[in-house]
Amino acid sequence: MIHVQALDKSYGTVHAVRNLSFDVPAGELFCFLGPNGAGKTTTIKMLTGLLRPDRGVIRIGGYDIATDPVAAKTLMGYIPDMPFLYEKLTPVEFLKFIADLYNIKEASTRRRIDDSLQSFGLGEARTSLIGDLSHGMRQRLLYIATFLHNPRVVFIDEPLIGLDPHSIRMIKDLLRQKVRDGMTILLTTHILALAEEIADRIGIISNGSLIALGHMNELRAQAGLEGRLEDIFLKLTTDEAGLSSPGGARRMTAPNI
Amino acid sequence: MPPLTALWIKDSRAMSNLRRILRQESVFKLIFILAFAMGLMGGFFVLFLDAFRFLSGLGGVSFLITRRLFSFFYLGLGGMLALSNIVTTYSTLFRSRETSFLLTAPVDIRSLVTYKYLESTLLSSWAFLFLIIPFTAAYTWHEHLGLLFAVWTAAFALPFVLLCGGIGTLLALVAVRWAPRGRLFRWLAVACLLAIAIRPLLQFRPVSLQDQASFVLNRLLPGLQAASHPMAPNQWTAEGILSLTGGEYARGAMFWLTLVGNMLLLSLAIQWLGTRTFFSAWQRVTGEGSATRRPPELLGWLEPALRFLPHDIRGMILKDIRAFLRDPLQWSQALIFFGLLAIYFGSFRTFRYDELPDIWRNLIVFLNIFSVASVICSLASRFVFPQLSLEGHSFWILGLAPTGMRRILMTKFLLAATAILLVSTTLMALATWMLQVGPGLKAISIGVAITISISVSALSTGLGAIFLDLKQPNPVAIISGFGGTMNLALSLGLMLASIIPLASSGIGTFKAESRTTPLSRGTSRPQSGFCSSP
Ligand SMILES: Nc1ncnc2c1ncn2[C@@H]1O[C@H](COP(=O)(O)OP(=O)(O)OP(=O)(O)O)[C@@H](O)[C@H]1O
Ligand SMILES: [Mg+2]
Repeated sequence: MIHVQALDKSYGTVHAVRNLSFDVPAGELFCFLGPNGAGKTTTIKMLTGLLRPDRGVIRIGGYDIATDPVAAKTLMGYIPDMPFLYEKLTPVEFLKFIADLYNIKEASTRRRIDDSLQSFGLGEARTSLIGDLSHGMRQRLLYIATFLHNPRVVFIDEPLIGLDPHSIRMIKDLLRQKVRDGMTILLTTHILALAEEIADRIGIISNGSLIALGHMNELRAQAGLEGRLEDIFLKLTTDEAGLSSPGGARRMTAPNI
Repeated sequence: MPPLTALWIKDSRAMSNLRRILRQESVFKLIFILAFAMGLMGGFFVLFLDAFRFLSGLGGVSFLITRRLFSFFYLGLGGMLALSNIVTTYSTLFRSRETSFLLTAPVDIRSLVTYKYLESTLLSSWAFLFLIIPFTAAYTWHEHLGLLFAVWTAAFALPFVLLCGGIGTLLALVAVRWAPRGRLFRWLAVACLLAIAIRPLLQFRPVSLQDQASFVLNRLLPGLQAASHPMAPNQWTAEGILSLTGGEYARGAMFWLTLVGNMLLLSLAIQWLGTRTFFSAWQRVTGEGSATRRPPELLGWLEPALRFLPHDIRGMILKDIRAFLRDPLQWSQALIFFGLLAIYFGSFRTFRYDELPDIWRNLIVFLNIFSVASVICSLASRFVFPQLSLEGHSFWILGLAPTGMRRILMTKFLLAATAILLVSTTLMALATWMLQVGPGLKAISIGVAITISISVSALSTGLGAIFLDLKQPNPVAIISGFGGTMNLALSLGLMLASIIPLASSGIGTFKAESRTTPLSRGTSRPQSGFCSSP
């Protein structure tokens, strides 16, 4: 479903992603891990067509994101790390806008919107402006919006930021449910317990290169460690000297221009 | 559903929510806003009417001038619109987070560019309503025209605004895609501006003065002539409106069709260029990172120089200067601003101030004070007013810091006042020097510049705090909101209130004189005006 081949991307002097290749088959939940500044967000931005890679090929559901962007984007949903929402719309209006954009014509759209708002605990907030919602409520709205058009591939950058325990459980169940129904999900997270719990496969990226890829068992074998993902992650990324670039986080906050 | 339709529905919903929010505001505030808007337009109306009356007082030449003035007005309007739309397009198309949201939705680039073109044109043009409406009304009143004139104006204004906005959008697309980046280019741009400013200083072209009328023609007509070039859209607009009003329907329709045709052609060009270049340009803005490594501290030498300030104030000042210099949205507009100033100064040396009759000197010195003061007001409205709002989501850092709001406000004010004082006194000194104004008058002019700089900086800082909008990261949107417009109008009002008493005597005699002897030779006898010193 997601096909990535020999991806490369530099920002000026920063080589953010190096020669990255992997495939994610349909119906898999793939977790992308890595230290701060490793290149996770950069990769997702290239996969969603926001950034043009310097080199490499990306196919989403068979469509090349470079040559057939609109077709690829119709298939996918994206929850960025710093999402954008229209502050001056109400949740219902925003969701209807999404339905218009993705050309969802079903007569049941309105009911589906109401149902999902209800089940995500936003029933009360239907009439307030998005600008007046709390952080967690916006986050939940974003999930509804992303799943509204039944995407076949979903990219999520840091899925659980700012959510309460109820919502976290709800999102975890939702993601597993969607994957069982055949959706492909690629998410990045720093919560290793989450990755361990819900991921089918895990990829670890450090300094822009993929240093490990596979099921938990395969990662254990590669690290030569039994036990929890945390230990494996720390061992692998320290081996690759991923943390030897403490400037990573600082460079990331530099202005773009 | 086509993306543009979906976006349009989204915007109309947001608009109706805005109405809902407005309804929740207090009635008093709404009435105040309305009264204010009306008052503003009323003020412009009186100003324009006065100008038309003055021109018709000039007698025979007035017919020539008035018709061209019309075209000149649209030239100025269109020029400002195109310039401001360069910056607005940059911020709404390349810097807005909505763009990256829409890019991940199935919105094709053609629709995205079209949508942003319309959005930014709307954003940069609505304030011009405050000029077009009173101008049209004043002309209607003065020439005893009917309501139809307003209808024709509206019919022409829409395509005209879209055309000029489109020119700005097109330039922005080209600039973001191709303009070289980096230090070298920035210095080159500054050097070009300086060259524009200095060139007219070197070419000294004195105008021989037979009489007042020829002076008017010489001074005004070259500009007016340029404005009425037959290939210029502003000329089509002006001529078209006047033809239709005069009953020449075929001629008017021809102009309208020419205007609309060109507007459509330009829209096509924007779509064509946008579809081909937008994504690469977007990559340049978001995907290339900084071309060069930055020094860890910009202007590091400034810090020891500011040691004498209290630490918190020093910190905030340094932060603001650095943030300003690193934000292309801010410094590029400052550059455009100074470019316009350079052109203004360029027009100075084309006549000999000292050869003029007193009556014209009075007017010119006053006009000079007026222009410098207007520059101060627009600088303050553009850069000082949004200062606090631009703190945006990082406002909590200041809010939590062990320094009071008073001090924060004071710091913003001090920084603004210093910067504006620097610009305004330099400008005034330069202008009075170029006009060869006597020392007394020079002192008065510079004094006026100083007072107005300080008071307008204070006003803009204060209003910026009252109309604080921390959610809006785009300075263009902050200043074109209600608070920003109000700030501009109040500063202009304050400025006029403080300089008109100073000059009214001079201007009064000027008007009286020119009305009675429109074509007679200008006299050199001393006037009772404030600037009658030799
Ligand atoms: N717009 C940009 N301009 C320049 N450099 C950038 C830009 N965005 C990211 N980088 C750099 O690219 C590298 C990878 O950044 P990226 O955001 O992909 O990391 P990440 O893995 O998502 O990190 P985190 O876990 O902290 O979110 C970093 O070194 C960062 O400084
Ligand atoms: Mg990231």
